[in-house]
Amino acid sequence: MEQDLTAARNLLRKTRDEMLTRANVVAVGAGYKFTGGEKTSTLSIVCSVTKKIPASELSSRDMVPETLDNIPTDVFESGRLRALQSPTERFRPAPGGVSIGHHEITAGTLGCLVKKNGEMVILSNNHVLANSNDAQVGDPILQPGPYDGGRFPNDHIADLTQFVPITFTESPSDCPTARTVADLLNTISNILGSDARLQVIREQVTDNLVDAAIARPIRVEDVSNEILEIGTIGGTTQGELGMAVKKSGRTTGFTTGEILQVDVSANVQYGQNQIARFTDQLMAGPMSQGGDSGSAVLDENNQLVGLLFAGSDQSTIINRIENVFSTLGVTV
Amino acid sequence: MKYWLLLLCLLLPIVSFCKGETMSPSIQEIKKRHENRLLTLPSVVSVGIGRDKDGNPAIIVGLDGSHPEIEAQLPGSLENYPVLVEVVGPIKAQ
Repeated sequence: MEQDLTAARNLLRKTRDEMLTRANVVAVGAGYKFTGGEKTSTLSIVCSVTKKIPASELSSRDMVPETLDNIPTDVFESGRLRALQSPTERFRPAPGGVSIGHHEITAGTLGCLVKKNGEMVILSNNHVLANSNDAQVGDPILQPGPYDGGRFPNDHIADLTQFVPITFTESPSDCPTARTVADLLNTISNILGSDARLQVIREQVTDNLVDAAIARPIRVEDVSNEILEIGTIGGTTQGELGMAVKKSGRTTGFTTGEILQVDVSANVQYGQNQIARFTDQLMAGPMSQGGDSGSAVLDENNQLVGLLFAGSDQSTIINRIENVFSTLGVTV
Repeated sequence: MKYWLLLLCLLLPIVSFCKGETMSPSIQEIKKRHENRLLTLPSVVSVGIGRDKDGNPAIIVGLDGSHPEIEAQLPGSLENYPVLVEVVGPIKAQ
């Protein structure tokens, strides 16, 4: 065995430069040969390639020979090799899982690509792409988001095309009668020596289903159908209690969790003093932080389950993907 | 008038019989019936359906912190479904 390894190493030293000039070969090394998906005990020269191509389509110059100096070779499809990039950096093409944002926000996550009227568009949250309702269709979307250094026009990747407005439950009331009554009662309370104060708010509980928006890339070549550290999406499925899920996000990268609650209604804080009620949500354990909003949530088979948008120290709140798709009129 | 009374006498047992036949409300219905009231209680941030430690369906009420006085106000069960209280912390858009 030792001898085999030494022989393979010596051979590698001699042949690696030449092997790396062959089409699609991105790495060469010594390793055990795999036959029919099973590891064997035979040491081989492993050529990693971006894509396995049938011998009939390769010139003899580019083909990896069966053996080199009597040592067998193996071909491993590693895909393209890249230096690992942080999701907060600029990506072209930009995959799911990286920093993105409306030009007036900090930064969120690019979820994934979806189809709207046959066109590829970027899916994320309203509060990521549409500044929590405070945006106009056509506004520039930056990748990375402004907090991560994204600037207009250099990092302008897409234009906002549509968002589902979020209805907030509480806002200071503009009713003068109610305010007068509250002021009067507060004065009485003050006289009686109490610290308690009444505040007039207009409470209108309207249920939201999704925090979602889409943006059209300026150039299709600038976006990628993959999700960082996850790969391509294999359809959609309904989120269920106990389902194992994963996401790739701008702040915490690739994380996994489990759906602990369904049919969740929750009061979600937006900024300092706005609250929105959401219903029919999925709740997973903690698997995200600020900046991960907009991440696509998938099951173990890479099927899209939801759109991450909120969370706490102990929870992650996820819109059901079926609600996102039906309200925006999009498909995978 | 007599005719109507007669009809009523006939209908009543049918209606009550049908009522007895209907299934007891699902946990989703029970949750829906009570969630608005629960979500207006101070520090309640979520109401959802999960499982208790034995794996049985339960209504789970999430609080933004530990508040024994609020927990004391919450029912132990709602129409035969257990109610569990969990501190999830304030839920914020991320």
